[in-house]
Amino acid sequence: MAAVVKSERTAARSAPLSETTVLGWLRKNLFSSWINALLTIVSIYIIYAAVKGFYVWGVADAVWVAKDRRECFDISIDGACWAGVIQWMNNFIYGRYPRGELWRVNLGALMLVLWMAPLWVPRVKDKILIGMSTVFLYPFLAGYFFAGGEKGIFMQVMVTLGIVFLVGNTLNVIIGVSSGRGLREVMIQKLGKQDASDESQRNTILAIFVGALVVVFVLQMWWTFEAVSWTKWGGMFLTLVISGIGIAAALPLGIFLALGRRSKLPVIRVLCTAFIEIFRSVPLITVLFMATTMFPLFMPEGVPLNKLTQVIIAVCLFSGCYMAETVRAGLQAIPNGQYEAAHTIGLGYWGTMGLIVMPQALKHMIPNIVGSFIGLLKDTTLVSIIGLFDVLGMLRSVSQDIPWRGLHKEPLLFGAMLFFIVCFAMSKYSRHLEVKLSAGDNR
Amino acid sequence: MTSVDEQETQTQLASAASSEVIIEFDKVNKWYGDFHVLKDIDLVVHKGERIVVCGPSGSGKSTLIRCVNRLEEHQQGTIVVDNMTLDKNLKNIDHIRSEVGMVFQSFNLFPHLTIIENLTLGPIWVRKIPKVEAREAAMKYLARVKIPEQANKYPGQLSGGQQQRVAIARSLCMNPKIMLFDEPTSALDPEMIKEVLDVMVELADTGMTMIVVSHEMGFAKTVADRVMFMDEGEIVEQNEPHEFFNHPQHDRTKLFLSQILHQ
Repeated sequence: MAAVVKSERTAARSAPLSETTVLGWLRKNLFSSWINALLTIVSIYIIYAAVKGFYVWGVADAVWVAKDRRECFDISIDGACWAGVIQWMNNFIYGRYPRGELWRVNLGALMLVLWMAPLWVPRVKDKILIGMSTVFLYPFLAGYFFAGGEKGIFMQVMVTLGIVFLVGNTLNVIIGVSSGRGLREVMIQKLGKQDASDESQRNTILAIFVGALVVVFVLQMWWTFEAVSWTKWGGMFLTLVISGIGIAAALPLGIFLALGRRSKLPVIRVLCTAFIEIFRSVPLITVLFMATTMFPLFMPEGVPLNKLTQVIIAVCLFSGCYMAETVRAGLQAIPNGQYEAAHTIGLGYWGTMGLIVMPQALKHMIPNIVGSFIGLLKDTTLVSIIGLFDVLGMLRSVSQDIPWRGLHKEPLLFGAMLFFIVCFAMSKYSRHLEVKLSAGDNR
Repeated sequence: MTSVDEQETQTQLASAASSEVIIEFDKVNKWYGDFHVLKDIDLVVHKGERIVVCGPSGSGKSTLIRCVNRLEEHQQGTIVVDNMTLDKNLKNIDHIRSEVGMVFQSFNLFPHLTIIENLTLGPIWVRKIPKVEAREAAMKYLARVKIPEQANKYPGQLSGGQQQRVAIARSLCMNPKIMLFDEPTSALDPEMIKEVLDVMVELADTGMTMIVVSHEMGFAKTVADRVMFMDEGEIVEQNEPHEFFNHPQHDRTKLFLSQILHQ
């Protein structure tokens, strides 16, 4: 056979108009045949009718300022009465938290932002330390801000540690952003110790740290907040406290349960499997009822365990079990070769898990993890059934307030929007994380 | 980095002597469920020896070398590696694993770490070597496998041949006494096989004890001290390469060689 050879090079031409212009796109996607054109037009009409109805009721005819529901009706009988929602706004956010002490809640939230924001700043160092302290110290510091009262010795220590870390963390960020260095480096330099040995540098840092602890510990002994009973906590604040603790506890608990379920040791495996399966096959509301009625029976006499603590423990266990299954799925996606390669360079079980398997598995799991966080945030509203006034509880009690008697729709719609904003932001962020983390490897 | 050079000369000397036994299999048996994979394996490997293991698939050759660092557990017989008996004692296993390097067919690099991080992970976390020193040593080994410029890329950005060379360097970073290769070139495109084999030949020249499961007969002829043929869980025949290829004794060996040489 004679060779067939191409004699000329084919030049690249521009794509047909249907691929590049708006009109071409419309034609291809919406009006490609007469039946598609008809469907498009009908759909557009339905969307128009729905949006228009909602717009007239919710925006155009709505009442924004009024002193009670009657006045709303007087102004506009067909419109939404947002005045009630606006007047109850503080209740939705803080519940019945004493109005004079609201700044404590706000400060607690601000602390969380200050604490965690550095995790997203690229130039900041020691991120693992920041992350760990967020999980282990922030809850105690914030918890004291929210609850107040006399501090026990344990609480005093935790609050002291929390304050020292918060201050150090913030300084670290300021230094990191302005100069790209760490707080440690700068302290060593300021003291003229940069040429000293590693050990002497470490001792200096330790001395400063201990000194700061002592000073803060002494200072905090003169400072107490007025106690605010948990029964006064409520609204979005309470929802975020419960789900926040649930979320923070879910991941570590889930990782340990999942590892236990895949363990080679039969006792650990059976225990973990049983624990996971029991909690997963029971609805959250049942777990909550069980927690509030059964925990007190198991607890030794004299252990102070209020309803809120019981609910938080129940939510943590429940979310931990769901997370365990998510983690297990992620672990199964890691090929055996990775374990073998880790073993052959001499890594033991924890080294293999912590350095090789978990970092890869967690990346696969991000969408599911965020999914269960979103689920947990929404499930937390169930606590309103067992008598805690979380955001749903507050939204529903508007209609029992005398000036706003019977106002159901507007607060619930507001609540839906609130949840949508929070959950949608979370899911968008998880998408962003996925893209960012997979940028590194194109396997 | 004198320590690496020292180690190289030491192994070279030992290979010249070549009397010290480093791996010993005594009547080793292994089953996968009911399937008898390894049948009464007796094997002695001396320090500095280079052995190529070949045989049809399912003959137990991968299982054999995976028993050396206990990625597989044998059920009967004894295996002694570097004067340590492989048994339930986890300390021994950890020790042996850090002395035995292994290269896999599918590379098994850690995809979430850069090349240099892949190389320094073991030295830093297992050997507890300071970061800076580990990096220096790693760069030296990367230069030896001829890809120092790829240090900060991720495994997914490298070709198969480059990944396999990184895998070899990763094992070398642990300063192993023995290197195991489990079909290192089988997953590679033909044009990349040579670059990996070249690195292995160079490694053999340093006097490293190597057991290589491979069908690369050219490699076996130039490098091996001994070629072993396995079939159905037995070592059917072993000989020095020239004799093995030119005058195979056993019928099964003859059949196998005729099959792979005429494909």
